[in-house]
Amino acid sequence: MSSATLAARRVLAAAASHAAEEGGARTWKILTFVLAFPGVGVCMANAYMKMQHHSHHQPEFVPYSHLRIRTKKFPWGDGNHSLFHNPHANALPDGFESSEH
Amino acid sequence: MAHQAHAYHMVDPSPWPLTGAVAALLLTSGTAIWMHFNSLVLMTLGLVLLLLTMYQWWRDIIREGTFQGHHTPPVQKGLRYGMILFITSEVFFFLGFFWAFYHSSLAPTPELGGCWPPTGITTLDPFEVPLLNTAVLLASGVTVTWAHHSIMEGQRKQAIQSLTLTILLGFYFTFLQAMEYFEAPFTIADGVYGSTFFVATGFHGLHVIIGSTFLAVCLLRQVQFHFTSEHHFGFEAAAWYWHFVDVVWLFLYISIYWWGS
Repeated sequence: MSSATLAARRVLAAAASHAAEEGGARTWKILTFVLAFPGVGVCMANAYMKMQHHSHHQPEFVPYSHLRIRTKKFPWGDGNHSLFHNPHANALPDGFESSEH
Repeated sequence: MAHQAHAYHMVDPSPWPLTGAVAALLLTSGTAIWMHFNSLVLMTLGLVLLLLTMYQWWRDIIREGTFQGHHTPPVQKGLRYGMILFITSEVFFFLGFFWAFYHSSLAPTPELGGCWPPTGITTLDPFEVPLLNTAVLLASGVTVTWAHHSIMEGQRKQAIQSLTLTILLGFYFTFLQAMEYFEAPFTIADGVYGSTFFVATGFHGLHVIIGSTFLAVCLLRQVQFHFTSEHHFGFEAAAWYWHFVDVVWLFLYISIYWWGS
């Protein structure tokens, strides 16, 4: 982080703690629209762009014994699918159900 | 007419502690029955009774405090202690799940491949949606602080706006997390990785939903003029709880999503 950013941070922190005593609502309103929401926006854009870069290739299935545990059936459906089961991403103990891409 | 010679609140007899206890019994035994005998009746009954208990008990507390004036400063102090102690107990609750995570991940067993993440587990990229989730919760911490100052300064419209934004951010987090749950390449049944991940983040998600609900109730109350600039403890309790939820997420993010990937 550049010394300018660090300096700006110090000023902001000092201003926030000082103004918090008088008219603090205005300070936090400013922080909301200048810091919090742009931060969320940047992270939204970042997550979206990274997701575009994903390969949609389904990983090769290896029947590891330490994964896909079925000691007890799930108490719903056929007892073999987890609650948030995704046929494309989650293999069953004997392999993937759907074989798209 | 009799008057009390002290500032404390001698609460009137109430059936809700009993209905709450019965609900707890039905929920626990009902869940066990569901797991072993495939019947949802007891658990559903317990859930309904729990919801009714919460609604009516907290409605009574609002009546006693906001409308009947029983929440004097000493009484409010007791409520503050109560909320602090409750949140502390929740901290210990999460501490247990973090213990489980670190126990399994610091010394991964041979069955897992002797490594963490275990062999065959594709972890989520901590710098995609999990980072966004972090920004969302941190932003909601800023908006809830804006809301608190607005209430203290008697700024009704700003308080309503900022409180609404906080709740919307909470919903956005829950929506993103639900999507992550569906898209994850691993499930809760994928060994100790899946167990620790989904139990820890799952209970956190439940607390986000509880916190959002608490804030939503505060929004309804703010709209109906329940809060004054000097006395708004219900909101403060909700804000404390919300900050707690945010902090738990930060620990989850650092430990499970980032270090554990």
